[in-house]
Amino acid sequence: MRTDAPSVSANGVATATPKPAPRRRSPALRKAFPYLLLAPALVYLLVITLYPGIFAIYQSLFVVKFLNWEWAGLGNYSSILQDREFWAALGNTALIGAISLSLQTGIALAIAYFAYRDPFIRGWRIVYLMPMLFMPSAVAFIWKLAFNDGRVISDLLGRLGLIEGNMDWLGSIPLARMTLIVADVWQWTPFLFIIFVAALQGQDQEIEEAARLDGASWPSIFWNISLPMMRPVIVVAITLRGIDITTMFTNVFVMTQGTPGGATETMSYFIYRQGFRMFNFGYASAASVLMLVLTVIIAQTVVKRAFHSGKK
Amino acid sequence: MASIHLQNIEKRYGGFVGVQNMSLEIADEEFLVLLGPSGCGKTTTMRMIAGLELPTGGKIVIGGEEMTEIDARDRDVAMVFQGYALYPNMSIYENIRFPLRMRGVPASEHDARIRQAADMVELGGFLDRKPGALSGGQRQRAALARAVVRQPQVFLMDEPLSNLDAKLRQSMRVQIKHMQRQLKVTTVYVTHDQIEAMTLADRIVIMNKGAIQQVGTPDQIYSDPANTFVAGFIGSPPMNLIEGTAQNGTFVAPGVTAPCPEYVRGKVTLGVRPEDCHVGGDNVQGMVYGVEPTGDTTYLTVLAGTKKIEVKAAREYRSDIDVPVAIHFDPAHLYFFGEDGQRIRGAA
Ligand SMILES: Nc1ncnc2c1ncn2[C@@H]1O[C@H](COP(=O)(O)OP(=O)(O)OP(=O)(O)O)[C@@H](O)[C@H]1O
Ligand SMILES: [Mg+2]
Repeated sequence: MRTDAPSVSANGVATATPKPAPRRRSPALRKAFPYLLLAPALVYLLVITLYPGIFAIYQSLFVVKFLNWEWAGLGNYSSILQDREFWAALGNTALIGAISLSLQTGIALAIAYFAYRDPFIRGWRIVYLMPMLFMPSAVAFIWKLAFNDGRVISDLLGRLGLIEGNMDWLGSIPLARMTLIVADVWQWTPFLFIIFVAALQGQDQEIEEAARLDGASWPSIFWNISLPMMRPVIVVAITLRGIDITTMFTNVFVMTQGTPGGATETMSYFIYRQGFRMFNFGYASAASVLMLVLTVIIAQTVVKRAFHSGKK
Repeated sequence: MASIHLQNIEKRYGGFVGVQNMSLEIADEEFLVLLGPSGCGKTTTMRMIAGLELPTGGKIVIGGEEMTEIDARDRDVAMVFQGYALYPNMSIYENIRFPLRMRGVPASEHDARIRQAADMVELGGFLDRKPGALSGGQRQRAALARAVVRQPQVFLMDEPLSNLDAKLRQSMRVQIKHMQRQLKVTTVYVTHDQIEAMTLADRIVIMNKGAIQQVGTPDQIYSDPANTFVAGFIGSPPMNLIEGTAQNGTFVAPGVTAPCPEYVRGKVTLGVRPEDCHVGGDNVQGMVYGVEPTGDTTYLTVLAGTKKIEVKAAREYRSDIDVPVAIHFDPAHLYFFGEDGQRIRGAA
């Protein structure tokens, strides 16, 4: 029997406060609990990322002719580093990626800065989201149609009187690269736009008001205040997008196949060609490993530098 | 530098009225304090003067020029925000420097003026820190320094000292008043602190629910309140307000009788400040409800009927509770308010 007296409240009326029984877990379960929580993520990581990764590193040390694996040590790596096509692919990726990334970042920032105060932004966001929701291969096919097969864009430009006849978009190096850039910018600017709008909306409105009272014009508010405050968000967004662009494959595969003369061959397409057209699996694996290392190093330095000078 | 005229300004948020039909003349070089309970529209009024909020009605004239629809940037007003609004990406030095840069003050003057402003708020040692690395009170002082570093037409200060400890607050108060007198900048100042309001203000505006209750010098507000709201808001503890009836020159409420002028009749409210109540005499017959010694005075709470009356008693006054006690009112300092809450004044 419980002996504690019922508590008496200020006005003299007795009230019984019900006490819930404390819940207990068995010690074994309590110990295992964190691991149970981690298990799904760990399994996912092992199956999807770690196993193929380790397999690629292992395979990159062999010259592979289907089932016949021949130990090559670092041979694949040394021949890749002397392969002109590899360096060309690296250069193409850097050039196309840099132009595309700066374009989409600039456009997204500009639209976001002008649009984020718009009360109808919720509605707009759905419209802007659409390109991202399409399947990448479908987008690539649409642009392939528009540029090459369907000649939609040539036709439009012709009607505007800007060009005569049909443009051969794959006929010149800059034009072929441009088609890839246009497709990528079209599909991914909205992603950056939405992130930047969220960042701008998260900024304290009073800070901008203070700047107005201090006499700042809107360009100088943007330059001195909004942009620096968005810096961490911009860095993260660019890093994510940069990794994505570095591995650009679908558009190349569907739209240009690396033509003309390899001018649009990206790293991913180079690896694909080595592996699945020429069946140099060991060579392709070695190139993938090099690319992984490169991506990680670049992403690390960018993020580190941006966040360090941002804090101080 | 500039007078400010508010002519019937009003701010509605949908159906809600934030500020209603407010008219106010603020003289050049005046120090005006807005005082009122939370949510009464003080910040909203300031933001309309600054140009950050467009009034839904009325006119704002600053320095003789109609400014109602002029952009905040072109009004030459400096403001201390209630939430500081420091630029998080800049050091305190750069924060204070920002208005100088934007207003085109020659770069050669910057350093001296920044250091002067920082010294005034005792923040000289923190200039190279970012706002994120300062305490709340230090941030507030940085915001104050940023506002006073240049000499605008008008200062607007929204509770600029609310986060400081008592000692610092006292010294900042003196600094602000000295600087305002020296620079002769028209200042509108919001505070919840009555001492601050009383010591700083040339005139005080008491607001409630978006409307002005009374405008006057600190003395007028204290000793000549216009209605029960002002009477109950000012003073600590505030004025006792006792509801009762008056006839033939006598005010009567349960446990309370007091003399009143002949023209006070019917249902009225008697107001009397705690310092005008004294132990002894015959105006109140009640029971001691509580005694609170504070060091320099003792607050005595007397229960008369169901009404609690606050009395400022002598420092050494002590008593048990539930003991009968009598209170005397100083007859020269009794206030009477009608049923509508407004002061009843003689036909004089
Ligand atoms: N953007 C807004 N939309 C709707 N109502 C608002 C808005 N801004 C303020 N209000 C309302 O207007 C009233 C006045 O607000 P204001 O900020 O001026 O109060 P205040 O007197 O400064 O109070 P405090 O002393 O707490 O700072 C409040 O009731 C507030 O809820
Ligand atoms: Mg406020």
